Amino acid sequence: MNDKPPQPEQPEDILKNPPERPLECSECRRVIRVRYTEVIGNTCNSLSMCSECPELEKRLQGTKGTQSSLPADGATGLACGNCGTTLEAIRIGTLVGCSTCYEVFESVIIDELQRAQSIPSRLISGKRSQILHMGRSPGEAKEMSISVRLVALNEALNETLAKEDYEQAALLRDQIRDLTEKKGSENVQ
Amino acid sequence: MSNNDLAGEIAKLGTPWNENENPIWIATSLSLQRNIEKFKFPGKMGLDRRQQVVALASGELIEKSGLDKPILFKSEEISPLDKEYLMEHFLSMQSFLHAHGGEGFLIDSTGLFLTTFNIDSHVHFTLIDTQNELEKAWNRLIKIEVSLGDALGYAFSPKFGFLTPDPHQCGTAFTATAFLQLSALAQIGELEATIKKLQDEQLVITGIQGSPTEIIGDIIVLQNNYTLGITEENILSSIRSAATKLQVQENAARLRLREQEKPEIKDHVSRAVGVLIHSYQVETIEALNAISLVKLGADLGWIKGITTPELNQLFFSCRRAHLLGHLSGAVNPEELPHKRAEHIHKALQQVTLTI
Repeated sequence: MNDKPPQPEQPEDILKNPPERPLECSECRRVIRVRYTEVIGNTCNSLSMCSECPELEKRLQGTKGTQSSLPADGATGLACGNCGTTLEAIRIGTLVGCSTCYEVFESVIIDELQRAQSIPSRLISGKRSQILHMGRSPGEAKEMSISVRLVALNEALNETLAKEDYEQAALLRDQIRDLTEKKGSENVQ
Repeated sequence: MSNNDLAGEIAKLGTPWNENENPIWIATSLSLQRNIEKFKFPGKMGLDRRQQVVALASGELIEKSGLDKPILFKSEEISPLDKEYLMEHFLSMQSFLHAHGGEGFLIDSTGLFLTTFNIDSHVHFTLIDTQNELEKAWNRLIKIEVSLGDALGYAFSPKFGFLTPDPHQCGTAFTATAFLQLSALAQIGELEATIKKLQDEQLVITGIQGSPTEIIGDIIVLQNNYTLGITEENILSSIRSAATKLQVQENAARLRLREQEKPEIKDHVSRAVGVLIHSYQVETIEALNAISLVKLGADLGWIKGITTPELNQLFFSCRRAHLLGHLSGAVNPEELPHKRAEHIHKALQQVTLTI
């Protein structure tokens, strides 16, 4: 093991010696995130752009008549400027390569999550701009209390009572009572 | 450390199953995937970068997370058998056998905690709970997660949450998996209907090897379907709620079996004892199915001479890697079913049928 902790990889390192690639978006001068390649006939044009670049949006959406110049199978040549993962690879189910891919391929990822029903149905028809994450943020150390267990036991108790299984219901009630007492004594302390 | 020492350390892992008195809810595993902000994901990193991640993350965990005697195993330094042992011990649904250079495993002395490095995400924490104390286990897991995150910073976006190479696992990047042994429901033919009734978009229900149709040892596995668009608390609560309902129904089925005369089920249990005590060789699946019936028989008072924790322990120790780890010296694969039978005979030598 090295004595010195290794330095984390910086996005700037990757972009230090880019082959004929400018460090700023060709259109709006922000940090580049996307390498866009367009093949028209025998000519191949490459552009480097930021992920929010309006020019990128135009080319992907095919406005201003650019749609006809894109390949018919939808392979746009879009690639992540940080790790090189391509849109085509994402579409065939390859794993994403880095955090930047989530920005670059945001709409493709959302489509895929919706198609595969990997998000709750209440979120599927929501706006594309909506926040999907509902859990913790980094550094949040919120502890869970035994209330979660009490809720589950109460749910099970209600179902058991509905089935008129009084023996199981009594067992559940005992567990609920023990937990409630435990919770009470924790609160007192 | 030599390879033998490493294997020895893995084989010395604490055995939480020894203390598990619960005949139905065997265990729950809680797992969190995390990736370090400044690095590309493992699939896009070269060997040297992956090794840096292992060194960096394991160093922080060993020094600052408060783990009890943590030990790091680099993947290239341990045998395929040791990887299989870890997979069995931590009830992993994912195989570690393909783990190679630049990947690693970190365990602590409790035998309940495992971190893998670069197998899927940079860091994948797993904590096993065998005492039905999921909230306590979560609180312990999150302390470890926060200590590493404070030092290295996790890849996170407000929209997608904690970022993972597989977008289907981002968000909380949290998976809770409950393992329940529903032998009575299986025996009275109510297992399928019970599972069907429990089905919910938030849950995935499978067998121990991940197949929804192949149920081995009557073990049903409940896992959250979503990691994104839901809170950690909701995930844990839905797993707890479903597992509690199944446990109640299994208890009710056991009670019915105790009260009613069911000769065919007594016969199944007796035959299972016969298979385990008298067979000359026995394969894993046959053994797991028979142990499940013996556990049921013991719980119903039809079998004496063995306890639930001992049977839970046997359930693990007769699986391939555990068995090989337990046997000293090289064993020919063809001999393994016989060695398994011998191991089970020894464990069940005090067992007697009372029906």
